[in-house]
Amino acid sequence: MKTTRLYLANDTSARAAGAGRLADAWKERPEVQLVRTSARGAFYLEPIVEQDSPRGRLAWFNVSPNDLPRIESGLDGTLVDSIPFLRQQTRYTFANFGVTEPLALDAYQSQGGFKGLAAALNMSSAAVIEEIKISRLRGRGGAAFPVWSKWQVAQQTEADEKYVVVNADEGDAGTYCDRMIMEGDPFRLIEGMLICAHAIGATKGYLYCRHEYPAAAATMRTAIRKAMEEGLLDLNGASFEIEVVIGAGSYVCGEETALLESLEGRRGVVRAKPPYPAMSGLYGRPTIVSNVLTFATIPNILARGGAWHASLGTERSRGTIVLQVGGRVKQPGLVEIPFGRTLRQVLEQFGGGMAPGSRFKAVQVGGPLGSLFPDSKLDIPICYDAFSDAGAILGHGGIVVYDQDTDMVELSRHFMAFTADESCGKCTPCRVGAVRGREILERIQAGQGSANDFALLHDLGDTMKAASLCALGGRAPYPVLTAIEHFPRDFQTKLPAFGRQQ
Amino acid sequence: MIERHTQTLEEVLESCRPAPPAKPNILRVLLAVQGALGCVPVAMVPRIAQGLGVTDAQVAGVLSYYPDLRTESPGRCIVQICMGESCTANHGGRVLRTIQDHLLIDVGETMPGGRFTLERAYCVGNCAVSPTVIVGEDLYGRVTSSQIPSILEPMKK
Repeated sequence: MKTTRLYLANDTSARAAGAGRLADAWKERPEVQLVRTSARGAFYLEPIVEQDSPRGRLAWFNVSPNDLPRIESGLDGTLVDSIPFLRQQTRYTFANFGVTEPLALDAYQSQGGFKGLAAALNMSSAAVIEEIKISRLRGRGGAAFPVWSKWQVAQQTEADEKYVVVNADEGDAGTYCDRMIMEGDPFRLIEGMLICAHAIGATKGYLYCRHEYPAAAATMRTAIRKAMEEGLLDLNGASFEIEVVIGAGSYVCGEETALLESLEGRRGVVRAKPPYPAMSGLYGRPTIVSNVLTFATIPNILARGGAWHASLGTERSRGTIVLQVGGRVKQPGLVEIPFGRTLRQVLEQFGGGMAPGSRFKAVQVGGPLGSLFPDSKLDIPICYDAFSDAGAILGHGGIVVYDQDTDMVELSRHFMAFTADESCGKCTPCRVGAVRGREILERIQAGQGSANDFALLHDLGDTMKAASLCALGGRAPYPVLTAIEHFPRDFQTKLPAFGRQQ
Repeated sequence: MIERHTQTLEEVLESCRPAPPAKPNILRVLLAVQGALGCVPVAMVPRIAQGLGVTDAQVAGVLSYYPDLRTESPGRCIVQICMGESCTANHGGRVLRTIQDHLLIDVGETMPGGRFTLERAYCVGNCAVSPTVIVGEDLYGRVTSSQIPSILEPMKK
């Protein structure tokens, strides 16, 4: 009997979109050989089924179980390379997505995997760090700190033990690229950790994964075991041990020092800096904490050279940025492109415009602490400097589009309530400020606000921005204040005086 | 209720005890206790503290800090609705109201008889196919209100 090999993603979101249903429906079909790959990131097309053809992979979109005969005939498939959403991207960190089986080590190696590590092991610590310096890579978790600088501090600090800690507490709503890497290309993350361990002389690694990502944690554990069995974790004569630790639902544990407190088993309360973790981190030892995406970017830099990475992007934002476009757009999904394209271009080219029945109102970039942009501000280039100049953040690359149904007062209240819930309580501006902010917004929402409340919110915002210990308190005012700035009518119509003025 | 688990608690504490001079990791111990018993009742705090050689306040502090640590057992099936920004923008609020009407409980409550507990999640990374509902260990994307009865029905048995 002729068997047909079909590719189907095993990513959490692909399964939520129906890939699991297809696998269940077709598992008894003897002629179907299902290969469960990572996801392409074009989630609006999921579940996607692919098949090999002489011209490359053919894909069928939004497949239901009854579509099998059509797919087996191979007739009306679309060439994957011709899908505009994917063709217009520049995939490096996400090059394997949709192509390989996540836990197939030989597949990772045949796609160039572990070449970066091999290159690093032939270099001294200093030379590896120099290569990262040439690449001009900045941390991808939100703070955008130069990666080489942290590594150099950790490398030069004397200690009996040093640690590599992966921050997999991807808590910003609207983001999932770290989850996709752990579920879809786990060996790339392990390779990045090993290169870092070699560069700084670390003896142990931790992966702090949020509990909302059970599939990611399971995949990482299996991948770590496989890598260990193959001897890939042997580093300079010793075995580099990697432990997966599951978080317990605290958003602020994505802040590096709170994460370290949590790893040590205490309340996830932010530490005052300095000392920085690179000097004194986990158990007081030099520790590199970076997010999943940052570590996953490292292997290509070592394999292709720092100059290659520096050749992409803009003056102070080198390399590619991974965006997760979502909310009320037609085509939600993951986008990897060089820095520099404008927000409007991204929303049009990749987002594909608004979802049916929706009109654009605002877009938020960078998670719950990110600023809101109205239509008139969409021509901002996506790079660290332009966003910083605009008082905004790129954060972790999350982009959420809101439509005309969005009430900015309710959204602002949601953000302040979120900060109030998640504040670790260490510093007063955040602990008390967020509660006061929420109360003011609740008052406005209840129709009991006054014009004075806006001055109060600005004043409170200034205090929180200037005096909070970490980005949770320091950034919390931005979405609220940008909502008031760009959508004042949403707020003014709720004031009791508004009716009388009309 | 607590006494029934006495042996198990001591066993959990024993299995979590690190080799000296390492200090006990309170969070991991509490997660292990919860894994074995379903929750960490506040009344157990002194025994856990004593077993680990730390103060009651240290244990109580960690227990009250993390949202995932429960002091009461949840219902047999936990239903979560994601309230992240993407799910909210895609009308997750309407889905939440449908679930509330269907189960007749509010967020944070358990049905009488303990069949379902309704909770709010904050972003499960399923934003591209939002809104998201999680029933037990099953995750559903692009959920509409009309799907709620069929999503919840199998779990009622």
